[in-house]
Amino acid sequence: MKHDAAAIRIAFVAPTLVFLIVIDLFPLLYNVFLSFTNAQLSSAAYDFVGTRNYSAVLGELASPRFQDALRTTGAFVVCAVAIELLLGFVLALALRDSFRGRSAVLSLLLIPMMLSPAVMGLFWNLILSAHNGVLNQALEVLGISGPHWLTDPHWKLPAVILVDVWMWTPFMMLIALAGLNAIPGYIYEAAEIDRASTWAVFRRITLPMTAPLLGLAVLLRCTDALKQFDLVMALTGPNDASTQTVSALLYQVTFAGQKVGLGGAYACVVLVVVIALASVFTRYLDWLAGKQGRSGQVAT
Amino acid sequence: MRALRWVTIVLGVMFGLLPLLWLVLTAFKHHPDAITTTAKFVPIPGTAVGSAGVAFSPTLEAFGATGRAAADGEPNFLDYVLNSAIIGLCSTAASVGLGTSCAYGFSRFRIAGAKDWLFFVLSTRFFPPLAVVAPILIMYRSVHLPNTHLGLIILYSAFNLSLATWLMKGFIDEIPRAYEESAVVDGYSRMATFFRLILPQARTGMAVTAVFCIISSWNEFGFAMTLNNAHAVPVPVYFAGLQGNIEGVPWPRIAAGTLLFVSPIVAFTIMVRKHLLRGVTFGTIKQ
Repeated sequence: MKHDAAAIRIAFVAPTLVFLIVIDLFPLLYNVFLSFTNAQLSSAAYDFVGTRNYSAVLGELASPRFQDALRTTGAFVVCAVAIELLLGFVLALALRDSFRGRSAVLSLLLIPMMLSPAVMGLFWNLILSAHNGVLNQALEVLGISGPHWLTDPHWKLPAVILVDVWMWTPFMMLIALAGLNAIPGYIYEAAEIDRASTWAVFRRITLPMTAPLLGLAVLLRCTDALKQFDLVMALTGPNDASTQTVSALLYQVTFAGQKVGLGGAYACVVLVVVIALASVFTRYLDWLAGKQGRSGQVAT
Repeated sequence: MRALRWVTIVLGVMFGLLPLLWLVLTAFKHHPDAITTTAKFVPIPGTAVGSAGVAFSPTLEAFGATGRAAADGEPNFLDYVLNSAIIGLCSTAASVGLGTSCAYGFSRFRIAGAKDWLFFVLSTRFFPPLAVVAPILIMYRSVHLPNTHLGLIILYSAFNLSLATWLMKGFIDEIPRAYEESAVVDGYSRMATFFRLILPQARTGMAVTAVFCIISSWNEFGFAMTLNNAHAVPVPVYFAGLQGNIEGVPWPRIAAGTLLFVSPIVAFTIMVRKHLLRGVTFGTIKQ
């Protein structure tokens, strides 16, 4: 098996690697290059401006606009992921034991996470509309006067979070279920013999034994939520002060502001964060594989 | 506890599915019935359009409208669906093909720095599209790729390649090596083993991978809206252009279009439901 010529090995893996380097890595480096220029989207000519964009970005890092974007992104990631984790875990606990029609219920529940955020986000505009929307009409039946979701600055970010929670709670539920199903039954039987209370069983068995997989789910969701752009575009537009995430700001600077160089400098800052996260993710996988390797459930 | 469990399940199903149910109902409404201030949710044929109350008269008008263009010579909704399909199918074929061969290489050979390469492959998935799209746009302009099918096909192939490689590596790792070893003893070349032994056994894995790739190209928005907003426009970008004042937006037409647009995805999701876990965790959790 190990006698294959180097040429064969290269023939299998090189096309993919070269393709990814050309399409992903090259633009990144080009971005770094552009970030030292005053390039604009509308014209082909540009001059070198040295590190002016970076001093601009560093200046901007302290500016309210960028700090607001960071704070909005942070608040969005923390709230959305925390709510999704909680709801997903509770749903997984409820759906853990089999019942008639369980697999049909599971399939239906998983649908939202496979749909397009941009397209579903557009339709949510109708659901969330203050007077014409079905959500506030339903709340009124319950005696609650619903907020002006998409026009009141205080409720715009919660609205984006609500739609994100709708889309991604199934993801957390799916992974939490996998974690729950992996707990061997004999542990619960032993706990029953010891007459452990329901709370003690949850606290000492269920929670710690699902935590590693929940950690993986949180990590994956965070990397995705940090990029949040589609829902913001669909619900409030890219230039709304109360929902402008870092991706939306990048879009605004690069395309509406036409400042490719400045956008490039921003992008480089963002990429450092992304690469750090990707490496945390792979390390976490290694740790998880080491921890659960024997059961063969996780493989890297 | 039992009651609590059922309440949780019912609430979960309502939260997940009521928005989709509303989408379906809206698709069968006349425009005035879609934006009323009291929700209309009982389809009763013969109800007057715009009447008070919760009943509305169901109609297929919105579905008919999806086939008509806004003006002569303009593309209609089905043209956008065709763009999405061309881009999705071609990029999926490329990602699955390249990803399978790359995954096989990493699964069976000792490759210097394999771990680092795999990390690099995965990290490409973590890039926010908005961080790389400006240089891509400038590069694309010099070769006339913006607003073409090929431009997005290339980009989505690369974007999905990380997922395809990681997913396929998981599937190929599960195929026992014994087959290949005996094939090599029988005088098969490496290429022959790959095509005659591995590919047939990796069929399920390739199908599952293809479904995940096509779903993510079908749904993608960030790259599409910045690169293909004039020609070869895929559906999500077309929809984004319809935003506006709530009363003025053609909601039944949007709902009908959305319904047509998401139904293949729903079918695919149900088809691969046993492999969903693998798909959303890059093949790292298997069940």
